[in-house]
Amino acid sequence: MEDQLREIEREAIEAVEKAADKKALEELKVIFLGRKSRLTSILKSLGTLPKEQRPLVGKLSNQVKVRIEEALKDRLQALEAGRQGPELIKGFDPTLPGRRLPRGHLHPITQVLNEVCQVFEKMGFSVAQGPEIELDFYNFEALNIPPDHPARDMQDTFYVDEKVLLRTHTSPIQVRTMEKMPPPIRIIAPGKVYRCDSDVTHTPMFHQVEGLMVDRDVSFSHLKGILTHFAQEIFHKDTAVRFRPSFFPFTEPSAEIDIQCVMCRGDGCRVCSYTGWLEVLGAGLVHPAVFRHVGIDPQIYSGFAFGLGIERIAMLRYGINDIRLFYDNDLRFLNQF
Amino acid sequence: MLVLASWLREIAPFEADYAEVAERLTLAGLEVEAMEPAYPWMDRAVVARISRVEPVNKEKHVTLCTVEIGSDEVGVICGAPNVREGMLTAYVPPGTEMPDGSEIREAQIYGHLSTGMLCSMREIMLEGDASGIFDISKAFPDARVGHSISSLLGMEDTVFEIGITPNRPDCLSMTGVAREVSAIFRVPLRLPESRNVFSNVGDGDVSIEIQDTELCHRYVGVTLKNVKVASSPGWMARRLVASGIRPINNVVDITNYILMETGQPLHAFDLDTLKGRAIVVRVSEEGDTIVTLDGKERKLSAGVLLICDMKRPVAVAGVMGGLDTEVTDKTSSVLLESAWFAPWSIRRTAKMLKLPSEASYRFERGVDFDGQLRAAQRASDLLSELAGGVIEGLKDENPRPYVPRSVVMKPERTNSLLGTDLDARAMANILESIDIKVKKADRETVEILVPSFRPDIKEEIDLVEEIARLHGFANIATASPVGELIVQAVASDKAFEDNIKTGLAGQGCSEIISYSFISPDEIKALGFDEDDRRNRFVRLKNPLAEDQSVMRTSLVCSMLSAISRNHKKRNMDLALFEAGAVFIDNGQGVLPDEEHRLCIAMTGRRFPQTWAWQDREVDFFDLKGVVENLLYQLNVRGSAFKASSAPEVFYVPGTCMSVVSGNGIALGTLGQISAGVQSRYKISSPVFLADFSLSALKNAVSGEKQFKPLARFPAMDLDLAIILNDSVRAEDVLHFIREKAGGLLEDVSIFDVYRGKPVPKGRKSLAFRLIYRAEDHTLSEVEVMAVHEPLVDALLEEFHAEMRS
Repeated sequence: MEDQLREIEREAIEAVEKAADKKALEELKVIFLGRKSRLTSILKSLGTLPKEQRPLVGKLSNQVKVRIEEALKDRLQALEAGRQGPELIKGFDPTLPGRRLPRGHLHPITQVLNEVCQVFEKMGFSVAQGPEIELDFYNFEALNIPPDHPARDMQDTFYVDEKVLLRTHTSPIQVRTMEKMPPPIRIIAPGKVYRCDSDVTHTPMFHQVEGLMVDRDVSFSHLKGILTHFAQEIFHKDTAVRFRPSFFPFTEPSAEIDIQCVMCRGDGCRVCSYTGWLEVLGAGLVHPAVFRHVGIDPQIYSGFAFGLGIERIAMLRYGINDIRLFYDNDLRFLNQF
Repeated sequence: MLVLASWLREIAPFEADYAEVAERLTLAGLEVEAMEPAYPWMDRAVVARISRVEPVNKEKHVTLCTVEIGSDEVGVICGAPNVREGMLTAYVPPGTEMPDGSEIREAQIYGHLSTGMLCSMREIMLEGDASGIFDISKAFPDARVGHSISSLLGMEDTVFEIGITPNRPDCLSMTGVAREVSAIFRVPLRLPESRNVFSNVGDGDVSIEIQDTELCHRYVGVTLKNVKVASSPGWMARRLVASGIRPINNVVDITNYILMETGQPLHAFDLDTLKGRAIVVRVSEEGDTIVTLDGKERKLSAGVLLICDMKRPVAVAGVMGGLDTEVTDKTSSVLLESAWFAPWSIRRTAKMLKLPSEASYRFERGVDFDGQLRAAQRASDLLSELAGGVIEGLKDENPRPYVPRSVVMKPERTNSLLGTDLDARAMANILESIDIKVKKADRETVEILVPSFRPDIKEEIDLVEEIARLHGFANIATASPVGELIVQAVASDKAFEDNIKTGLAGQGCSEIISYSFISPDEIKALGFDEDDRRNRFVRLKNPLAEDQSVMRTSLVCSMLSAISRNHKKRNMDLALFEAGAVFIDNGQGVLPDEEHRLCIAMTGRRFPQTWAWQDREVDFFDLKGVVENLLYQLNVRGSAFKASSAPEVFYVPGTCMSVVSGNGIALGTLGQISAGVQSRYKISSPVFLADFSLSALKNAVSGEKQFKPLARFPAMDLDLAIILNDSVRAEDVLHFIREKAGGLLEDVSIFDVYRGKPVPKGRKSLAFRLIYRAEDHTLSEVEVMAVHEPLVDALLEEFHAEMRS
């Protein structure tokens, strides 16, 4: 009995959907729902069924009846709308492009910078800021770079006068923070930095993010842990990371951190100069001289600091080949992000 | 630092292949940035057969040679007397850069095309004859045509280009790099043997006086006679060229060779040109002058360390020698200088004179405190061996002899800083591998003596670094730090600014980031009054260009420039914003005021040009709407737009509104950019711009939001259209309605503004919707009218208005 009912439903709906006009629908209504229809005869014979089957068959028969009626109604509406298919309505073209409100874009540098900060904020680092025009003291001296030190050649500095300059890195924020508060410290400090340098890979202004963690028992091992996690969050969870000894006057031991090339996955390509590696971060344990400058006892506390250039990450991320595009502010560029 | 592989292997006989050497050096902190062929010209030079010789100019022995190189044949004009048919010789193709820096080119000579060059042994830096072309048939009868000369002679070699960090002056020498290699690969360090050439010499009748022992710790002078100045042997010239140094003559080359070998800069004077056979090391006085080797006369300020004879300066110490006392072809007696100068002094001088050199580069980073005598010995040895010099005397003025300091390292602390588990013996082994003398190594302490060649080692952490890099960063575990979850946070505006940025982007504005430095003309173009603080800009001492020479005092400059640049690229429809710092000068030696501001600007079409939107230009109210939304988003309570009492000069007069907070603090302004400013920035369409102080905005933000129960009783809306004078401001009418309507008025808005027929000229129609509601019951019409009708009457009277029918 159930199968019969389902068969009736299927046949009826199929026929209804094919019906070409109102007349055909009326005929179908008689055939499937009329007094002489199969469905009506089933309903009439309900009384002859065993008692326990009656409610079930009765319920099903009614469902089938309702569905056929609905199909008839839908088809009638569609035919009245004067179109051949059920999805078309006169005067309504849903394929026209939508009415999009004008959409603005955050600068790609802002987007990448936020992403970087968020990775660290999730680990309990808070954002710190500092002035872009800095005292020589904070930019160099307090970071263990005395006057006449060759390390000053590592960064071409814009000077305002003898004592005042455009900060060449975000590292002064480390010092300003440590001056203000005692350990434990966990900060992440984004900002603009300036160096006299301009070509396809250098702009005289760019963005860095500085990080600092100071606490008891912070080790190089922890530096590796945090920065490996960072690289894998920003790039790819399987990204290989390599730590190489380097030199920064304000950290010791110092490291440069390479990630496996994001373009060739380490096979060697033009982007990584066929080395398979890309340098993305500088880092190291905070130099005791820096701690002494801010009155933190290096015998009790230790810490690590790191810095990275946002433009470089953004260029790798989006495949941008000319760093100057970031500051042209050409709408055709901005609209892509 | 350019390091020739074969030279390196001579001192530290490693067996690893070059790629591994490069990788291991890099991972020990000596970053190998590139590996290049050492003698590219020799790789390009090939064995060639001269198949035909035709005379071109008999008197000058010039011939046209037909030369087979593999399957090809080329014609080469050659002036060598020893050419003959069937001879095998060395051929260099066009495009090859020769060791002297010249490039071989195809040329027309004596009316014939000459493709490439046939070379003498000298020309490709081989030891041997310069009088004719390289006669390969004689030396290598079995040589195959087309083979490269470098493979024929087994002279393929590689140069490692190593980036040496400023803390490692010791690695600015073959010895230093070799020491690292010997530690990494556990091979012995075989420093070149140095004969004890000074065993039986006197002081050479030369006097040396160091007047400033602070700046010159030691001065070793060696005098030699019978020196024959000539060119250097091929092996030495090749090593110098591979190290990036141009060979000059045997005496100068030897000083440079020892510089590369030991890191100790040397200088050779022509002894006969020194007045009084004397050296005085002193600091310059104002007015001292010297003509340096490069032929330039230099006037020195006071405080420059000089090497003088009895009469005059003969060298700028550590930087450059003098022209008068230079070694020339005629020189036969030499005074060799090997000294230690204070790094900071040399650095200042080299910077001041803009004369960076191989010598000053090393002095300013710190040369071996105790390496002067040995370098002098090595150089003297070579001078006698290669230039026939006879050592006459030695003078070693050493007023401040090097005393090695001891530094103590605690193994436990080292392990805790690095996250390692090394015992004292393992640490001592690492230090000893780079020639650091370990005096004591037990569980509590490792005590060392600082070697004279490591000026960078001053305290414990410097030893920790050595342990870390030689143990290998890769061998230090990667771990997650453990610490207090809650730590004190610093105050920052980032979250606030991000919120603004996201809100504005949501309103269709795109963020720009501009350089903080601009041209002073960009500020001038805004036409500020003379006493406006924004005329006080910070000027850079060393800008890259005049148009990037001052720090911006207003974001308006950056914004208008960005619009102008976009217009040039035909991007006409712009809604942009920038958040960033501006800088107001506070005078010499102090930081400027640094203020974070926000600038928003709109120009061109309001909506994208599609079927879906009305095609119209932006106007003032588009911008005002963006600003209103922003204030609403930030929850700035009670802010108001007011006609400015002191409007910004860059707006069209009458369009400037200032935004003030509930407690009367100025937050910013908005308006339309004046035609004058617009044309100075070469912008052709109207620009609407808002300029805010971010700190003022932040202070005006209320952190509180108070829920108000939802109304339970229905409201009654009444519309009202009145005609009034065009000069009446909507704000005043709205204010009046709110004041007079009493407690039942919930809200009032303007839903239409109309000018034109049938409204008379000079008048306008404003249509208001007033919403009345009581909190506790449903309002009756009678109740509302009792409020509304007197309100309308008062309104009409107050504003000389009439009802619009």
